[in-house]
Amino acid sequence: MVRKDNIIIDLDCISKKYDEYGVVVNALNNLSLGISSGEFVSIIGPSGCGKSTLLHCMGLLDRPTSGIVSIEGKDTSKISGKEIALFRGEKLGFVFQNYNLIPRLTVMENVVLPGLIMKKNPLELEEKARKLLKEVGILHRADHKGIHLSGGEQQRVAIARSLINDPVLLLADEPTGALDSDSSCEIMDILLKLNKNRGVTSVFVSHDIEIARFGSRTIALKDGQVAGDTKDKNCDFEKVVKSFRNNYNGGKRLSG
Amino acid sequence: MSGKLAIGELKDHKRIYAIIILVIALTMTSFMLENAYLNYMMQVVDDTTKLVTADALVVDPDSNLRDLYGTEPELEDAGRIAREIENKLPGYETSIRVTAQGTYGLGTEGEAVDGCTIQGIDPIEDDKISGIGSKIVEGRYFIDSDPILRGHTPLYIEIEGPGDLPNFVYGTGEKLLEDEEPYPIIVGATASKMHPSVQVGKTFSLTLSVSGKESSYATVNVKVIGLYESGTPTLDALMWFMHADSLREIKRYGEVDGRDWRIPGIGTFKGYNPITVDQDRGDVVIIKAPEPLHQLSPVGHAQEVSEKVEGVFPYLGVYNWHDFLVYIAGSMQDVVTIMLWGSIAVTLFLCGAAIKYVMDSIIMRKTREIGSLKAFGARDRVIFRIFLYQGIIIGFVAGILGIIFSLVVMNFVNWYGLSVEFIAGTQLQIGFIVNWLTLLVSLMLPVTLSVLAAAIPAKKASMLSPVEALRKGELSL
Repeated sequence: MVRKDNIIIDLDCISKKYDEYGVVVNALNNLSLGISSGEFVSIIGPSGCGKSTLLHCMGLLDRPTSGIVSIEGKDTSKISGKEIALFRGEKLGFVFQNYNLIPRLTVMENVVLPGLIMKKNPLELEEKARKLLKEVGILHRADHKGIHLSGGEQQRVAIARSLINDPVLLLADEPTGALDSDSSCEIMDILLKLNKNRGVTSVFVSHDIEIARFGSRTIALKDGQVAGDTKDKNCDFEKVVKSFRNNYNGGKRLSG
Repeated sequence: MSGKLAIGELKDHKRIYAIIILVIALTMTSFMLENAYLNYMMQVVDDTTKLVTADALVVDPDSNLRDLYGTEPELEDAGRIAREIENKLPGYETSIRVTAQGTYGLGTEGEAVDGCTIQGIDPIEDDKISGIGSKIVEGRYFIDSDPILRGHTPLYIEIEGPGDLPNFVYGTGEKLLEDEEPYPIIVGATASKMHPSVQVGKTFSLTLSVSGKESSYATVNVKVIGLYESGTPTLDALMWFMHADSLREIKRYGEVDGRDWRIPGIGTFKGYNPITVDQDRGDVVIIKAPEPLHQLSPVGHAQEVSEKVEGVFPYLGVYNWHDFLVYIAGSMQDVVTIMLWGSIAVTLFLCGAAIKYVMDSIIMRKTREIGSLKAFGARDRVIFRIFLYQGIIIGFVAGILGIIFSLVVMNFVNWYGLSVEFIAGTQLQIGFIVNWLTLLVSLMLPVTLSVLAAAIPAKKASMLSPVEALRKGELSL
């Protein structure tokens, strides 16, 4: 069990409901979860199970309908929009499926952008960006426009960008979703290496079971609830998800 | 950072924004050209109408605007009125004028009998107000040694009834009054062009109406000492200048020594009766008000001057140059100004709508980028600024381009020397007057417009929820 004081992000009975054309959709249903410092967590589940919604709530991009999201012990449900923006910039790093590089900016400009938003020193940011780009193996393309890079290269840049503000938590939404298998493995290796070498706590969402196995801990979601939570890399997730209804735990934490 | 991203956004959509900037710039070019030409024309019209009215004038309460052509009755206590205006309204300057209407027929082939309005002026005081001395284009202005008085009253005739205008009136012109020394007169250059025999040095006889409402005429000899040009040929053709004391003598504004002779069937002949002119007597008091700090509204300033003078003399007739202009040209000038502003407003409104809809469309397609920025910690106001700055840049560039385009056109027109043909072959030079207000409006109008147009989509973009923004939209166009 992970000690409570080590928890970076704690989700306590969070639910998220959407109203789509008059129909209420329960994207997250009374879900509780804790991620500890240094963990490399994969979230897996079928389409529509709430993976991305969970990641958005963890990343403070969306507020849960009910429940509490705490980051480093701070209850984020009570802070203003302005503070949430500050929190996102300082504490969290994001990697998106489609990289989301600003096409007209160079690789270097893309990487330093979150730092500039946080009004950090541009020279220090550039120095730091060089180190990060070197770490993800794309420094030689620092002066190229993001749009001229391959998918794998763009995702490396996106990873470097996500770390520019030294976040306590890196959130990646399908980071390999738009890549071929070779590039996917390379990206996962980079994320893993960063986790091991820098101790970056990471949570990534994937619909691909093989990619999910890169995680040191895997959480399976179904119908907005945690269907399984394991550190066993050989676990049969499909079976876990299928048998979830029989073992429904009422939203209690399975692990962590 | 918002500025850099704004510039990047503009570069990304440079074609559509270039078209919008060009349309606004051309609209502002048109505005500046029309406004600068209007300023020039107003200046020309001002120069001309102000020769008659100065900033404002005071006449007898029975006078109307038509009477400003020289048929005003005598203004009672003109000297006291002039002094009181100067005392009660600090900075105001006045001068007394004597006016008359004149008729002449030179008898030369092709030159019909013509009429004119005579403004009798104090050469020094009036020049300070009307600036007539600076408009002399040939000959000279009045000088001290001019024979402004003949020392006796001219030949008069009183008309006994309607249609009873004696034939000899039409005989004036080449038929000089014997042994009569001519009064010096300054004639409009247009009149000289229309009547080639009216040249500097020419002496001819002129019949003047010497009372506004009664039918009393005087025939005198005049000698052209100078030609002037005001800028508006039609008025130049009509309005001539004499020394005020000459007209005072002609109109008997003073002490007359002697008696009248009545010639049956013709009228009353005053004969050689010397008079002492009274310089406090006159028909009009012209007024120059202090220059306003800002000439934002020349018409407003004219009304203000009128109101101040009316405050001092509520029972008198007070008119300003704008009243006279409206009398001459109707509200044509005002209508042109309103139409100019109206057309500019419509075009700019359309440009504003174009900016708004282009930005709306861009934001719709750029939501993922906006979502990413929000994920990186960008606050709503950072997003707002990115789009607002685009509006400022578009407006500023369009304004500057508009100013540059119009200055190029103005310089070209000035270099080429375009002019408009007026009556009797006179030419009105096309010119432009660019004042700081025109420049300021040409710059600030497009900036304000595009900021307002950009503010709506900018606000919409800033209010996007990060999740919604990340879910939809493309990253680039």
